Amino acid sequence: MKRLLVVALVLTLGLSVAGLAAGKVAVVLDVGGRGDLAFNDMGFKGTDQAAKDFNLQMVEVQCATGADYLPNMRNLARTGEYDLIICVGFLLGDALAAAATEFPNQKFAIIDVDYITGPNIMNFVFRENEMSALVGALAAMSAAQHGYTTAGIVLGIEIPVLWHFEAGFRFGMDWGLKAYAAHEGTMPAVNLLYTYTGTFSDIALGKAASEAMLAQGAVGIYNVAGPLGVGDLEAVTEVHDNAGTKYGPPYYYGVDADQDWMGNGMHGIASGMKRVDTACYMAVEAVVNGTFTPGVTSLGLAEGGVAISKVRDMEEFIQYGIGAGQIAAADAPAITYNWVQNRLTVADWIWDAVALLEQGILNNSIFVPTASTGAEIATVRAQYTLGAP
Amino acid sequence: MSEQAGPTQSRLLRGVHRTVTGLHPALESMLAALIGLLVGAALMYMWGFNPWKAYWALLRGAYGGSYEWASTLARATPLILTALTFSVCVRAGMFNIGAEGQMFMGAMAAICVALFKMPPGIHLIVGLLFALIAGAAWSIVPAVLKITRGVSEVISTIMFNWIARWLALYIAIFILVDPSRAEKTLTIPVSARFPILVRGTDFSYSFFLAIFAALVLYFVLWHTTMGYEVRAAGLNPTAARYGGIRNKRTMIVSFLLGGITAGLAGATVVMGMPPSYAAFGGGAFPELTNIGFDGMAVAMVGRNHPIGIIVASVLFGGLNAGGRVMQFYGSNPVPLEMVRIVMGAIVLAMSIPELIRLVPAIKSQGERLIATLRRHGRPASKEGSA
Repeated sequence: MKRLLVVALVLTLGLSVAGLAAGKVAVVLDVGGRGDLAFNDMGFKGTDQAAKDFNLQMVEVQCATGADYLPNMRNLARTGEYDLIICVGFLLGDALAAAATEFPNQKFAIIDVDYITGPNIMNFVFRENEMSALVGALAAMSAAQHGYTTAGIVLGIEIPVLWHFEAGFRFGMDWGLKAYAAHEGTMPAVNLLYTYTGTFSDIALGKAASEAMLAQGAVGIYNVAGPLGVGDLEAVTEVHDNAGTKYGPPYYYGVDADQDWMGNGMHGIASGMKRVDTACYMAVEAVVNGTFTPGVTSLGLAEGGVAISKVRDMEEFIQYGIGAGQIAAADAPAITYNWVQNRLTVADWIWDAVALLEQGILNNSIFVPTASTGAEIATVRAQYTLGAP
Repeated sequence: MSEQAGPTQSRLLRGVHRTVTGLHPALESMLAALIGLLVGAALMYMWGFNPWKAYWALLRGAYGGSYEWASTLARATPLILTALTFSVCVRAGMFNIGAEGQMFMGAMAAICVALFKMPPGIHLIVGLLFALIAGAAWSIVPAVLKITRGVSEVISTIMFNWIARWLALYIAIFILVDPSRAEKTLTIPVSARFPILVRGTDFSYSFFLAIFAALVLYFVLWHTTMGYEVRAAGLNPTAARYGGIRNKRTMIVSFLLGGITAGLAGATVVMGMPPSYAAFGGGAFPELTNIGFDGMAVAMVGRNHPIGIIVASVLFGGLNAGGRVMQFYGSNPVPLEMVRIVMGAIVLAMSIPELIRLVPAIKSQGERLIATLRRHGRPASKEGSA
């Protein structure tokens, strides 16, 4: 009875908000812009979903250059019409800090930044090391299973956020190799290959880096550079085309979004999802519900902020892809079929081991290291060498 | 430049050329802008946006008030300087595509002032000196290569842009990096910043530096012997040499002047643009990238004349500032992709008159390049009778 009342209350509240004044939210994206099938698109997706659910009007503002960051925020805040301005990306940090001081009555949220203080700002950060550890463990164990000698990560620009991924992946590979040894009795030799390409936009560089790794026997490529994944996947696909193989290694590991559907689901086996959309949704929800809490919100596996992709994620993103016109509805069953077939090439016990690691992280029995400074990543690199300095 | 168009030029091109150059430049620019606006409107209409509302947003966002004007002029500032780089070399008969790289070097040099303390004002001037020296130094190598070895400055400056970009990234990530924020460089201290002119905007005193540079270049090019020699060498190098002008000297001078303004452009961004006062190596320089190339378009629209460039930069700054507003204004938000297509159409249309005027020069550049390639063997053989 009580629950029913609460539901009714929430419904009426929601309706009254919608009825009174359909508010407005804005999302500001940095120069990377839309179409990366990852970070920025996720920011849009989450805000768009929240705007629909709470009956708000949403505008999206992109930045052509770094000189647009602060003016865009000022332009929006000056109107005084927006209930919330969400800034997606750490590069917007300085501009937001300035804008938030100039417009103390305007509520802001920012993704990937944890240092802005102020009564009108919510900072969202992710524990990317957690899901990267899962991807690393999967890569290392499947490499050992198929007799591959390396696993690769293609990263973007060497910034602290990306160190979280690298640190987690290194730990995960190490954990995976130990798990493999425990299961099979022999310690496999799987080394890490990693490259900071220095770009979040040059797809060709992603492909070139992936090709170099695949030539050195990489079991797969973990994309940690947004749109470069398109190039990574292309390189993986070419290996299969040349060898005439359909499923199995080499694999592609997506990032940020569930990217498993890309390339018809043939080679994308799992994605290290960083749910930027969840953070954006939470921010809008907080404003609508009046629970806006300034400060830093850290999202990890436990909060559903990061995850390794599973069946339900695949379904969600195929639906989203169909809605966005990136997937033809008729192709959806084939994509899912391919994806399942590809997943079957990794032994069941390995998937179980990955699930075990996830459980361990969730119940705090396994601690995944992270790195936010040069010194910290140096320590992690020294501890989990994996044949790569 | 049109006078030397030889018989090789096609009749059609000559016809277009004559028609266009026959108009008064201002009338010509207005006609070109009108065509650009119409093309942009047609494109927006085709994709379901209301062109009138969108252009209204553009106009409001660019010139609707003091805040908008300040945003426009702030964006115009570095573009004036890189446009000067291109135009001074065009006046000397060369295509200096290297403003981008020289601008990167200038920005990195300016950031070096964060390494030491100095009194306000002097600190700023020292930073500007660093920047202009770095920009000039970066322009010297292509100039020397051209003079001593006949290397096409088009190719060498493009290559130097890439070297500069990656060198600047290296410097930003490994040398001048802010230890607490690995994605950006050290922050330029308040004593070396251009003060903000209009509160709550990006408009700083750096604008006056750009205007000053344009006026100085105007004076140098049109009221000094050196400037006369530069322009004479640009109009007809052979005649100039016959007249006793040392062409090598005019090349060096124009490259140096261009390098100086490009270096200053980099400095105005890092020393004059709030809130960061730093370069973001971690984003591959979103605040600096393309300022050098956009400057070339500004130079074209401004007819490679310092005063024309100031006018053109106000238009460019307006397109940028108004383009931001087009994305959210009123009931007709236009996504950035479409905004940039429309801006591209307007800029392209406005550049065409000057581009056509430069055709003979571009052509002779190309011919010289092909001749060089042919002299050195294989690759040119495919071009045949080009």
